[in-house]
Amino acid sequence: MGGITGNAIVVRITAALLVLLAFVPLLHNSYDENLGRSVLMFATLSMGWNVIGGYTGYVSFGNVVFFGIGAYTTAALWQHWHSQSIALSVACAIVAGVAFAVVLGVPILRLRGHYFGIATLGIALATQEIISNIDWLGGGTGVTIRQLDDYSAYYYAMWAVCAASMLASYLISRSKLGYAFVAVRENEEAAAVLGVNPTRYKVTAWAISAAMAAAAGAVFAGANGFMDGPTAFAIDNNVFPIVMAILGGVGTVAGPLVGALILTAINETLWSHFPQIHTLFFGAVIVLVVVFLPRGILWLLAVRGGWKGVLASVGAYRV
Amino acid sequence: MQLFWQDLVNGLLAGGIFAVVALGFSLVWGIMNIINLAHGAFIMLGAYVAYVMFTAWHVDPFLSLPVAFVVLFALGYAIQRYIINFVVRAPILTTFLLTFGLSLLVVNVALLIFHGDIKGIETSYSGSNFSIGSVTIAWVKLWTLVAALAITALMQVFLTTSRTGRAIRATAQDVDAAQLTGVRVAHLYAIVFALGAGLAGAAGVLISLSYSIEPTMGDPFVITAFVVCVLGGLEACRARSWAVSSTAWWRPSGRSTSERACRMRSRWSCCSWF
Repeated sequence: MGGITGNAIVVRITAALLVLLAFVPLLHNSYDENLGRSVLMFATLSMGWNVIGGYTGYVSFGNVVFFGIGAYTTAALWQHWHSQSIALSVACAIVAGVAFAVVLGVPILRLRGHYFGIATLGIALATQEIISNIDWLGGGTGVTIRQLDDYSAYYYAMWAVCAASMLASYLISRSKLGYAFVAVRENEEAAAVLGVNPTRYKVTAWAISAAMAAAAGAVFAGANGFMDGPTAFAIDNNVFPIVMAILGGVGTVAGPLVGALILTAINETLWSHFPQIHTLFFGAVIVLVVVFLPRGILWLLAVRGGWKGVLASVGAYRV
Repeated sequence: MQLFWQDLVNGLLAGGIFAVVALGFSLVWGIMNIINLAHGAFIMLGAYVAYVMFTAWHVDPFLSLPVAFVVLFALGYAIQRYIINFVVRAPILTTFLLTFGLSLLVVNVALLIFHGDIKGIETSYSGSNFSIGSVTIAWVKLWTLVAALAITALMQVFLTTSRTGRAIRATAQDVDAAQLTGVRVAHLYAIVFALGAGLAGAAGVLISLSYSIEPTMGDPFVITAFVVCVLGGLEACRARSWAVSSTAWWRPSGRSTSERACRMRSRWSCCSWF
């Protein structure tokens, strides 16, 4: 797949869905609000992953690190400076996330393919342990965060973060930055020969991805009211965004949000009707998606031949 | 000081299991470029095979080793040939996610069938041990190490001398060229994956003797297998498999950080032998 596919109609429909999501708090239903906030959070994480994994081609299994850092920023701001300001925590989280991404990125992004994925996975596991042992951040017991009286503020904040991420993804896809990312993905050596500094653009991609994840984490911590190691660095927050991006369409603009919506819908339906076996169904969904739609649902719109084209392509990667 | 030697011996004995786990993992990774996240699920299935055979038919776990190997071999062959084969040449992300989904599937099916309570295998010789000086060695762990070494040696012999082993090594070098020389690659990939799964099953039987059995037991071993493969390399030859098992001792234990530091130090000293 080449470039960053942004089917104009799909992007507009997705943007419309996003706008619709902004009205969920008006339903005054806390279940719907929590669900909507969860969708927006995963969509943001997924868009963040899409920048480094989809546009740049460096599959990262460690974006949850930035999410956790963002979450702990809010926790620390409350614990030590008694600040409940969402804007301040998002700003500080972005700074912290980007700093971490740059510091980590320069050495780690030298790795390619499998090794980069494993390195980021290792970082994710290690960071959880390290932060759980820092007492200034709450140590093993975690930090209880006092929530704002107007709980819907967290929903609107998450929506704002998601909308900003979507806008950023869209703008990147149409800018020179986006072309540089795709050049690195397609052939890093050729890009270097043509004057695109791979290290600079890889680190930039990871920093953007980190900013999105950290912002989502910052708002999540406030909404959750409690933060400790396992909550901040939960493996779900690591894997789900990747599955959502794949389901929607890796490297597309609207893919992550579409994937987040669909997967959350599937997950909630399964969880509410089949509580014992919903993870089993989830595993089956992942297997089916990967085998039949390796390039995501949005690719269905792009492939020639419609359904028959999809079925014919199922065997494209076999031996 | 006494703790150091005891730790050293414990590490040596545990290394055998990790070597078998890593051997299966590295076989699949090295030849098909697939990181098999379902390896832990296969280990768990092997352990449950041993458990079922022990509780239902009173078969000693060491005797159910070949049974577990065969069962997991068949399962691995079917999974590779009919599921993973569709994406075997796809980018790594696709196979990574597919094996992750399979892992979720298998673990949850096991959870449904066997439920989450922790089980164990206690044989007549489970607690017995002997001492060399101040170091105590459990008989079970010693026999586990012997079995692990035997399995590794058998794999080594198979890969170097048999015709299938040569075909496997040829496919690892160049898939298309191997296909041109008459190797049925789909079948061979399935054999390789099945071997990896079988080894995981055998490792699971060995693990069931010393560790507790529950549906998520395989995950820590897979993570260690990652580390072992990266540090020890991906080729499955005898010298390397020793390096693999030596680095396998370097695994974190869930105790206090100071204790962990002591253990790491002792195990690193073993690694330096190789």
